[in-house]
Amino acid sequence: MKESKIMLIQYITGIFILVLGALHFLAISALAPTSDKVLYQYANNSTSTHTLTGGTLYYTTVTTIYHTLFWGSIFELLLTFLVFHIFNGFRIILSEQFPGDRSEKAITYIMLVAGLIIFIWGSKTVVTMLLGGGL
Amino acid sequence: MELMLKGFGEVVKTVTLRVRRYDPEKKELPKYMEYKVPVQRGMTVLDGILYIKEHIDPSLAARYSCRMGICGSCAMIINNRERLACQTQILDLGKDLIKVDPMGNYDLVKDLVPDLTKLFRNHESIKPYIIRQEEKVTGEFLQLPEERELYSMFTECIMCGACLSACPTMATDELYLGPQALAQSFRYIADSRDIGFNERLNLLDSKHGVWRCHFAGACSDVCPKGIDPALAIQLLKGMLAKNVFVKYQQKPAKIGPDRKSILETAQS
Repeated sequence: MKESKIMLIQYITGIFILVLGALHFLAISALAPTSDKVLYQYANNSTSTHTLTGGTLYYTTVTTIYHTLFWGSIFELLLTFLVFHIFNGFRIILSEQFPGDRSEKAITYIMLVAGLIIFIWGSKTVVTMLLGGGL
Repeated sequence: MELMLKGFGEVVKTVTLRVRRYDPEKKELPKYMEYKVPVQRGMTVLDGILYIKEHIDPSLAARYSCRMGICGSCAMIINNRERLACQTQILDLGKDLIKVDPMGNYDLVKDLVPDLTKLFRNHESIKPYIIRQEEKVTGEFLQLPEERELYSMFTECIMCGACLSACPTMATDELYLGPQALAQSFRYIADSRDIGFNERLNLLDSKHGVWRCHFAGACSDVCPKGIDPALAIQLLKGMLAKNVFVKYQQKPAKIGPDRKSILETAQS
């Protein structure tokens, strides 16, 4: 693949990481559902200036958000983009440090394998959570 | 009594030039040597180096030619910044101690003389000339002033090599084309008379081409002619990115009338 195509993907994944990363942050900090009445009232008190929902304070309620297909897909996409962006970034840095046909080929394959391992490992977590499991 | 250089007037002060000395043939480590140089108004660092050569240590090696910022031969690192020695006045530096190093990212011939093979090799590799399809050109290529304006700045390059010395990517990636060659490739691609984009594409779009520029901007910062190679590289990146979706089209400039036939007509 031409370097311009790879770098275009690098830039596009970078933008998507920003968007999906923000959604990820939103998911774990504001969107988690709550069944805690005290915290729910605290968050929705008209005199209160706090807008946070109580669920975000509990690990178990936060993980429930991972059980929906929508959020599972979001996290899987984020993982895919992150793995490409990070390991292609490593490839670029290392290729500059060790220029040459053989070293660059070796670096590319090592990054490909390392990226695949991280992707499979990360996907396993996302799928496990999606199926109702937990960490 | 201090020896004075002719044509410069009275000695204003004495400065110390700390010059990096290195001779690859002697197999000794590089070392700094200090020389006291009397400074007269208008004296440049190159004048100071020549003073050292003439009066203190003739073994000091430095490359220079025009002494007026045109040839680019005397580029070196003066007080930690790439400059032309002939354009840098000692009094303007405002220091009593002036550190002089050869340019970085090059092999050394001796002392302040870098081996510029890399610079010229990379420059040559991007085909720094107008590429056309015609086998025989009878007239001149026509170009509007606004078409020339697109690449005008990049024609000012004197190939001093200061940009390569300052470039951080150049410091690690031996195969990187470098800001000078990339800026020059933009200069020709942007030229309305040229149709050589595809001929240069493989090299520019390679692993050590435009995409290895991380936009530090050091090249533009140090260029003694005020050229902005970093801008050219970003514009090239834009061209290559667009080329992924829509193939870049170059329309060759029209060829003007045959001068020879005009001359003959006029004579007849």
